Amino acid sequence: MSLLDFARGPALQWAGIIFVLGMVWRTLGIFMLMRSSPLSANRDNHLFEHGVRTVWSRFVPAPVFEKKVSFQYVAGWIWHLGFLVVLLFYKVHVMFFEGLLGFGWPALPNSIVLAIAGVTLGVLLWLLGRRIFNPVLRYISTFNDYSSVIITTLPILTGLLTFTHFGIAYETLLAIHMLSIALLLVWFPFSKLFHVITLLPSRYVLGVKFWRRGVQA
Amino acid sequence: MTEVVTKEELDEAFAMFYGMAASIKDLVSEPVEVSDEERVAAAKRVFLKGIDANLATQLEACVHCGACAQACQFYLGTEDPKYTPIHKLDLMKRVYDREMSPLSWIKKHVLKDITADDLRAQQELVYDACTMCGRCNMVCPAGINIADLVALNRSALSAARLMPDELRYMQEAQAEDGTIFGADEDLFMFRVQDLQDKLGFEIPVDKPKAEVLLLTSGLDIHLFRDATGGAIETLHHMGIDYTLRTDAYEGANFGLLAGHEPTKKMLTEKLTKVAIEIGAKIVIVPECGHSFPAMRWGAAESVGHSVPFTAMTVSEYFGKAVMEGRLKLEKSKEKRVVALHDPCKVGRGGGVFEEPRAILEAIGWELHETESNRAYNFCCGGGAGNFLIERADKLKRAGYRIKMAEIEKTEAQSLVVSCGSCRMNFEVGKVKAGDTLPVESLAAIIAAHLPKKEKAEGEAA
Repeated sequence: MSLLDFARGPALQWAGIIFVLGMVWRTLGIFMLMRSSPLSANRDNHLFEHGVRTVWSRFVPAPVFEKKVSFQYVAGWIWHLGFLVVLLFYKVHVMFFEGLLGFGWPALPNSIVLAIAGVTLGVLLWLLGRRIFNPVLRYISTFNDYSSVIITTLPILTGLLTFTHFGIAYETLLAIHMLSIALLLVWFPFSKLFHVITLLPSRYVLGVKFWRRGVQA
Repeated sequence: MTEVVTKEELDEAFAMFYGMAASIKDLVSEPVEVSDEERVAAAKRVFLKGIDANLATQLEACVHCGACAQACQFYLGTEDPKYTPIHKLDLMKRVYDREMSPLSWIKKHVLKDITADDLRAQQELVYDACTMCGRCNMVCPAGINIADLVALNRSALSAARLMPDELRYMQEAQAEDGTIFGADEDLFMFRVQDLQDKLGFEIPVDKPKAEVLLLTSGLDIHLFRDATGGAIETLHHMGIDYTLRTDAYEGANFGLLAGHEPTKKMLTEKLTKVAIEIGAKIVIVPECGHSFPAMRWGAAESVGHSVPFTAMTVSEYFGKAVMEGRLKLEKSKEKRVVALHDPCKVGRGGGVFEEPRAILEAIGWELHETESNRAYNFCCGGGAGNFLIERADKLKRAGYRIKMAEIEKTEAQSLVVSCGSCRMNFEVGKVKAGDTLPVESLAAIIAAHLPKKEKAEGEAA
């Protein structure tokens, strides 16, 4: 079995299984914990609607914080969206998903995907540098933070190298790219990348708590 | 308004009170000897009992972006990264990860268990360097309720018998006497009599039934008698069926501030039972920020069922009356420019924003808002009992400076507050910083603008 066969065979398959089982396990483990309900009277009776409003409103910082944190919000949007666009709209990826799901969708031109991947990679590397050099981020960062950024960056980096046939044989580059994806899938449920499941519900929890007390959160 | 306290009397009382507060540390009893193992076990029990699915979701949502630091005046004032709000939850997160999370089977082999020394180091982070103001909650992209989780940390440290001495003294004293700063029933009645003499009408005490139960606090009994006097004068003016009670007058709750759950529950339950017994529809908590959440959000929890009354702050009760036309206030002759401080527990923690503004508008004062206002307001710098913690003095001053810088930018002639401990912090901060901006009680301002011709019979001119 060649490295490429291993990467796109057992490595990706096992990574996928670990990803699915890990995500389900951690999600159920959290959401099946007990919940306490307040007994005091609410100020606001449209808590679901307002909780959802908080989920949306936290995509942008409140005006009073804009000067301090806007750049990190913007950087976050850019790389998250960039990652998704490259994952879902690069022609080869669309073909991969078509083979997996039985249906496909239009892809973006390679030149656009390449540019988006470049920007995404740049932002991720900048965020990694910021985590290293910013005193607050350096102080609060753990192995989970550094490794998660690096493991998220690797598929973009290796994908770009594969696309440009950089240096070594294409098959080897492709195998490395697929192994980096397998690593990401395995790491995902056990790391802070899991926030894709908890972040929006967490906003909702805060929103309900604050709106209940008559405060727009 | 009838002057219930002159500036000289207030200055004198303030000096005495400040001396008393400063001596608390010397009065505290010897701490009970507890082994390190017991401390750790007690703290863990509180953490694990307190974390439900909602809190677990929030703990699992943090990506360590550090945005919360940019909202915290203790970080902004010191630029010390250890005061980053989310860092204050690390210890609890470690307990959760190791012993409760779905990944505990892995994490207990990777993460170190917490120690009593960790808990001791945590004291500074969750007592000295956090007033649970909740401003960090407003910036967090994941919506993590850091302030509530810090409150759980305080409860854990309290269970581990690691409260700061000053708060332990206050909690123990209030658990025994029900009141704070020695404001016992005799002193309470002395103050009622004093106010009665000055206001010129009888103040109802211990009525068996009343629509409104008015609370006060040891701080107001000793010091800010204009705040309690203002509330009483306005209730009298409005013809409200109200009472003060000798068995339920203290609104402060040092169980809540110290994180001592049994004391917190006992104090709130006591007030709640009296309010139910006298058939009160409304409980007005004094100008004391934390007494509002203690009653508004804690009363039903303390007795285990919904309660037949609504707890309101002084500013909320009278502000609503102004907004609904039930209370008319005279326009001030002076077009004064003022700034308003929204106490964290009442504003961001309680949704009371428009009512105090309606009062200021009614009297014709010009409100210059601070850049951070309403739900984004900065804390006074010493809330949640921090004003008593001696070793936190530098942090309090840093927090005060951030707040005062915003107030100074408004070019206000005075600062209006409706919280006694905020007022206390501002007064102490002013003395230490050499600032001179007058700080005024909203309740006293209301009373000062009651229409004279509509004053109730028997009231002193």
